[in-house]
Amino acid sequence: MSGPLLEVQGLAKHFPVRQGAFGRLSGHVRAVDGVDFHLNAGETLAIVGESGCGKSTVGRLVLRLLEPTGGSVRFEGQDLLALPDSQMRAQRRRMQIIFQDPYASLNPRMTVGAMLSEPLMLHRLAPSDAARRTRVGELLELVGLRPEHARRYPHEFSGGQRQRLAIARALAVEPQLIVADEPVSALDVSIQAQVINLMRSLQARFGLAYVFISHDLAVVKHIADRIAVMYLGKIVETAATDELFRNPRHPYTRALLSAVPLPDPTVVRERALLEGDIPSAMNPPPGCRFHTRCRFARESCRVDAPLLADDGTGHSTACPWWPELPPAPSLVEDRADDQDRIRLARLQAAFVTSQMEAT
Amino acid sequence: MTEALLELRGLTVDFATDDGVVHAVDGLDLALGRGRTLGLVGESGCGKSVTSLAIMGLLPPENSMVGGQVMFEGRDLLSLDAHLIRDLRGARLAMIFQEPMTSLNPAYTIGDQIIEAIQRHQGLDNAAARARAIEVLKLVRISVPEKRVDDYPHKLSGGMRQRAMIAMALACGPQLLIADEPTTALDVTIQAQILDLMRALRRDTGTAIILITHDLGVVAEMADDVAVMYAGQIVERAAVRDLFARPEHPYTVGLLGSIPRLDERRERLPSIEGRVPDMTRPPAGCRFAARCPFVEPECRAAPPQLIEVAPGHLSRCRRAPLSQVAA
Ligand SMILES: Nc1ncnc2c1ncn2[C@@H]1O[C@H](COP(=O)(O)OP(=O)(O)O)[C@@H](O)[C@H]1O
Ligand SMILES: Nc1ncnc2c1ncn2[C@@H]1O[C@H](COP(=O)(O)OP(=O)(O)O)[C@@H](O)[C@H]1O
Ligand code: SF4
Ligand SMILES: [Mg+2]
Ligand SMILES: [Mg+2]
Repeated sequence: MSGPLLEVQGLAKHFPVRQGAFGRLSGHVRAVDGVDFHLNAGETLAIVGESGCGKSTVGRLVLRLLEPTGGSVRFEGQDLLALPDSQMRAQRRRMQIIFQDPYASLNPRMTVGAMLSEPLMLHRLAPSDAARRTRVGELLELVGLRPEHARRYPHEFSGGQRQRLAIARALAVEPQLIVADEPVSALDVSIQAQVINLMRSLQARFGLAYVFISHDLAVVKHIADRIAVMYLGKIVETAATDELFRNPRHPYTRALLSAVPLPDPTVVRERALLEGDIPSAMNPPPGCRFHTRCRFARESCRVDAPLLADDGTGHSTACPWWPELPPAPSLVEDRADDQDRIRLARLQAAFVTSQMEAT
Repeated sequence: MTEALLELRGLTVDFATDDGVVHAVDGLDLALGRGRTLGLVGESGCGKSVTSLAIMGLLPPENSMVGGQVMFEGRDLLSLDAHLIRDLRGARLAMIFQEPMTSLNPAYTIGDQIIEAIQRHQGLDNAAARARAIEVLKLVRISVPEKRVDDYPHKLSGGMRQRAMIAMALACGPQLLIADEPTTALDVTIQAQILDLMRALRRDTGTAIILITHDLGVVAEMADDVAVMYAGQIVERAAVRDLFARPEHPYTVGLLGSIPRLDERRERLPSIEGRVPDMTRPPAGCRFAARCPFVEPECRAAPPQLIEVAPGHLSRCRRAPLSQVAA
């Protein structure tokens, strides 16, 4: 196939805000305000940013779970927004979504088997009861659970296992694209790693594309091919993952990176703390939306809204001043492989090995 | 060595529940010196919050049983009269929570609440208490504190509320501050502001801090010493640099491996398979045995003790020091 799997242009969602007893319209929350990106088959695009910046809204818009205020979403070249409902239903099968809290999206009164059979019947993916049972068992094994688990109910599973169930249900319809909205944010780190590893191996196996929504830059670094950083409804920077971490350009991306505490007590970092809070999306600042908190803001930033400009290599930045900014401090230090690191790597290897044996 | 500010001796907390007795905390020994910051880490449900509530005397009396000793400035808080504990709380001991609204009352202004805390513990008149309230709001870097003091909590953003709660906790100059996941609900840029604030306050006031968090990055940045909990017990304790460089308990090794890091990229994250044991029936031997890649038959036979495996470095693993295992 030529062209990207998913292409989003000028996507916008303004939620009306009503006030008072008569529900008088008092304004709009500009949750998503002109967003462009694309995603190739088999790739992961991460959308990162702080709470309220519009990540979840983008995810829902992509699947047309929300009607956009403007813009287009093309999936395999087809404009989803122009599609009649009947054809949209057929497309739904190719795009699935999983959420932060899998429990909220799993029916507590349905066994796991019934829950996984439902989409199979709906889309006529398994012709007989026997074929369905086999497929349900297969799906459970795919996500590291056991076929016997089909008889259990969601509450009998731990948080990490429930996220595996949500992934199994998404996989049931053999999608090409999964939008994962903070899928590991509610999990303990040790369990987080299990789910991230699972998502990566499923991707390699089935050529899945992910839109991976997260507020956690370190998580995203481990799963994404490309990253889009959002602030107040707009993308401020996109780049290939390694490039973004090596050469962050936008002042907001830099601030975000420098705010993440590193799990290494020997590093002493100079950090530029962001002052104040994120402004309201009902009243975003004019010009560059980040100018109220930006250390590098100039007079014109208060007036001119910068465009997300590609430099020709696929690295786009919505700040015209980035070439003049001082270099961003490096995150990755060249550390010698001393005794301690060798020892720790050897010990940790035992965890990777035992995990291979377990699955 | 000078006397510790806080010393837990064999602290146990059991809860009576419908499923049986939950042994949430099981024989905790821990000492904290004045002005030190101890990071308390571990998976959810391992007993971190229960430990801090036990220190503060805030566990629900209906279904909890507390045993052992909580020595604070030389007195056992567990055998102290309830009204004496109430006097200490807020004055010499203070606690902040993940969700500020658990300690802020939505019906009163920020100022009223801080003033109330000050007047309960210090004999200041209204004007002096209000002045002190404004002073502490300024200390936690709330802008225009003379105005904010009259705001209700819901008018403030998440980060501001967390600051207001810290202000309230610090109003009486406590010797010990227990911070239970104080930044977990906040965005990273706001978290960075709050951590920076806590560092400055610690420097200026010399308050000792128990910082509970699941974020090893926060621990690395803030703590002098670290205690790692697993299933109601401390499994490792060390100075922060030693713990990160040379962890001596397999659980800590797995935990350090499983965090995705900004400063590294690995193909697969080592993950700890399985889940924490059911605390109504904790396993007889090592509680980590079911998830441990280094397990031997002896591990399951008897519970390992917390022993010093290097100077100042304690581990509850019978195979420690782990250098031999890694060789
Ligand atoms: N249904 C809705 N009605 C009104 N405002 C909404 C609605 N959903 C989201 N918002 C607002 O849109 C903005 C973006 O929200 P969201 O996409 O959930 O952000 P994120 O996922 O990045 O935290 C926020 O200001 C949020 O309050
Ligand atoms: N009030 C309570 N009643 C019964 N069980 C409780 C109560 N509070 C906590 N627990 C149990 O005690 C254990 C430790 O909980 P907690 O200290 O909150 O863990 P965490 O390390 O996540 O802070 C858990 O198994 C929890 O379910
Ligand atoms: S005692 Fe045994 S099972 Fe427990 S942590 Fe050590 S090696 Fe693992
Ligand atoms: Mg969201
Ligand atoms: Mg807790």
